[in-house]
Amino acid sequence: MTEVTQISAADAVGRIRKTYPVTPDAAVILGSGVNVLEGLQNSIVLSYTDLFGHAPSVAGHSGTLTIGRLGSGAADPLVAVFRGRFHLYEGYSWDMVSLGARTVVEWGVPNLFVTNAAGGLNLEFNVGDLMVLTGYRDHLSPKWKSEGLLPAVMAPATVCANKQTEKLLSVGAKLAAEDSRFRGLRQGVYAGLLGPSYETMAEIDMLRKLQCDAVGMSTVPELLVCETSKTACCAVSVITNVWKPDEVMGGHEEVLEASKAASRRLDLLFRRILVEK
Amino acid sequence: MKLRHAKLIDFTGTVDGFVHPAGFDRAVIQLLRSKDKAEVAIIVDRAHCEGLATFASVVLVNDHVNLSGDNPLVGPNDASVGPRFPVVNNIYLNAADTMDQEETWTLGNPLGRVPSVVAAGLRDGQVPDSAQLDFLRSLNVGFYCYNLVPAMLIAAHAGLKVLGLGLPSGQSLSPDITACLLR
Repeated sequence: MTEVTQISAADAVGRIRKTYPVTPDAAVILGSGVNVLEGLQNSIVLSYTDLFGHAPSVAGHSGTLTIGRLGSGAADPLVAVFRGRFHLYEGYSWDMVSLGARTVVEWGVPNLFVTNAAGGLNLEFNVGDLMVLTGYRDHLSPKWKSEGLLPAVMAPATVCANKQTEKLLSVGAKLAAEDSRFRGLRQGVYAGLLGPSYETMAEIDMLRKLQCDAVGMSTVPELLVCETSKTACCAVSVITNVWKPDEVMGGHEEVLEASKAASRRLDLLFRRILVEK
Repeated sequence: MKLRHAKLIDFTGTVDGFVHPAGFDRAVIQLLRSKDKAEVAIIVDRAHCEGLATFASVVLVNDHVNLSGDNPLVGPNDASVGPRFPVVNNIYLNAADTMDQEETWTLGNPLGRVPSVVAAGLRDGQVPDSAQLDFLRSLNVGFYCYNLVPAMLIAAHAGLKVLGLGLPSGQSLSPDITACLLR
């Protein structure tokens, strides 16, 4: 396990409040290569090193927290954007990978939006699609290391049902109706796997039998943390490849490229949902 | 694909000429990562097929599902060994990959007569109950094992192809297959 000096969520919130005393209306945790909500007004930037005592080691994660408003007015929504996260596959503990979400909860932020880069399992999906998570499967929690994964794969998926998820879908539908260039949102079940190796075809077949639509190596910790909190959490996957038997699977560079292309639509989606009451 | 310089690992302790680790451990990782002429790792593991299938002899692994809840590549990545996110598709060799045409003409290809199945990698020592066996059957799993999957992941990360063999309890490799592997 990667050795890290553990900082509590309360410590992290204390550090943030020293710099920015106002609690945001919403927080966003961004995954690999996803870049949205740039140019926030009256913003401040904190590094993860200053905030959490450590920075993510994976390409595509800048490891900063930006707090700022969507516009120049005092009434414009205040947003906290966490660029990057810690992963179990890097060797971090569960406490560390859930620290971002626990900080958001401790801070009292009412809404958390989480993004990730995911492989598409649903053959109707295309590279660059945005999938709103309507359910997820936890195949990565450390408890499976002692219990084995069989209980996890045999359990039903957890349903993501909250007002923010419904709002994401309705705002996405509005944007698609207004502008034909805005590709309609997908929805489906996300399987969170430990990684860091990508899946074998037999594992892809298994996940499809379990009716999963996308697969990745994150996001489940954030969703689990918020399930028992007052923070409503919803998540969007950027589909960076679609698993097809006759196509060679790309690597992390391909993931980053597809994430960049989808970021503009995701940016539109988040900006709209943050201003709509 | 040349087997000539292959790394030979046998977790069953029954195949002559192979290294015989007691289980998947750091020494296995070091062996698989050691720099030499090898392009292939031949990995033999005990095939637990009770309740799943009946095999008269050794079986060839064509793919796996990792149901151990763990991955030996978790932790900081050594980029000099392999990529942070290894692609582990098409790592297992099939029988035809193991010999070139000339070798097949002269030696035959005994592995070509061996059934080819999906293996499930379980947590060390875990014995699935009947419901779990039903689930494994629904995935077309032919056997479960404890060491092959983590060893394959380490091998694939290090750039090796893998010839995976499952040996049911009480079975041994036939002399022609052993000769094919050790040639």
